[in-house]
Amino acid sequence: MPISAEHIGRTFPPGDPQLISPERVAAFADALGDSDPIYRGADALVPPTFVMSAAASAWQAMFDDPELELSLARTVHADQRFLWHRPLRAGDLITPQLTITNVRARGGNETIGIRVSITAREAEAVAEGIDTGAEEVCVAESTFVHSRPAGDDQEGTA
Amino acid sequence: MSLDLSVGDTIGPLTVPITRTTLVRYAGASGDFNPIHHSDHAAAELGLPGVIAHGMLTMALAMRAVTTELGGPQRVVGQYARFRKPVPVPDDGIGTQLQVSGEVAEVADGVAKIKLEATCNGEKVLGQAAVEVRVD
Repeated sequence: MPISAEHIGRTFPPGDPQLISPERVAAFADALGDSDPIYRGADALVPPTFVMSAAASAWQAMFDDPELELSLARTVHADQRFLWHRPLRAGDLITPQLTITNVRARGGNETIGIRVSITAREAEAVAEGIDTGAEEVCVAESTFVHSRPAGDDQEGTA
Repeated sequence: MSLDLSVGDTIGPLTVPITRTTLVRYAGASGDFNPIHHSDHAAAELGLPGVIAHGMLTMALAMRAVTTELGGPQRVVGQYARFRKPVPVPDDGIGTQLQVSGEVAEVADGVAKIKLEATCNGEKVLGQAAVEVRVD
């Protein structure tokens, strides 16, 4: 059975931890044409939407779930919301985890809401064994519009 | 230190050129390699007139207008936008231009809500775009 309201609340295993290196931060700022020195060097802060790459890496777990019958190629990203508890920094080791928060079916389409929670540890503290645990630093919420393949319309109108 | 923002204060305008090279750099930096952002063929298969910019690039550039004005991302606590219209980026050596401007719509409970407008060729490409920043 394809994705339905029954799947609201499904949480997938967290993705792999990703290190935010100063080089990745600088490359991201360069791509935006943003020369602000705050985004350069070992203690760089991170442009707010950089966290999207980690959030999007967590989408894969949902699209890979065979029960949901989803295809990324038939999916439109309709809106995006971020909430930050603090700015991310170079040296953060971040981990994304996805939860399905909304599913509405209409005709051959589903509107799907997801929430990706991003937690962080300090990479250096982890390496030195003095890490005090992960804290949530950001929440990335997305709405997708997914179209089912022709002939798979639950209302039989395809 | 508190930030002095009042309803009606404006941000920008910031005008940012977007070329195919911008899209390639953003794809590499963000890890978003959807071919509709670099291949006219792939874009045409989805019924688009040609390559379009990543929605998240548009959102990132809209945010750049705010962080430039505030001196960094430290006070940013929230952001929202709908991806309303695609931003076509022709391969003609010129590309396109995104224009971003903002206005403080509300200040309450230590948070200012800045409404953003992002336009390309005179059309609004983001819907209900807004950023929330801490002011206290």
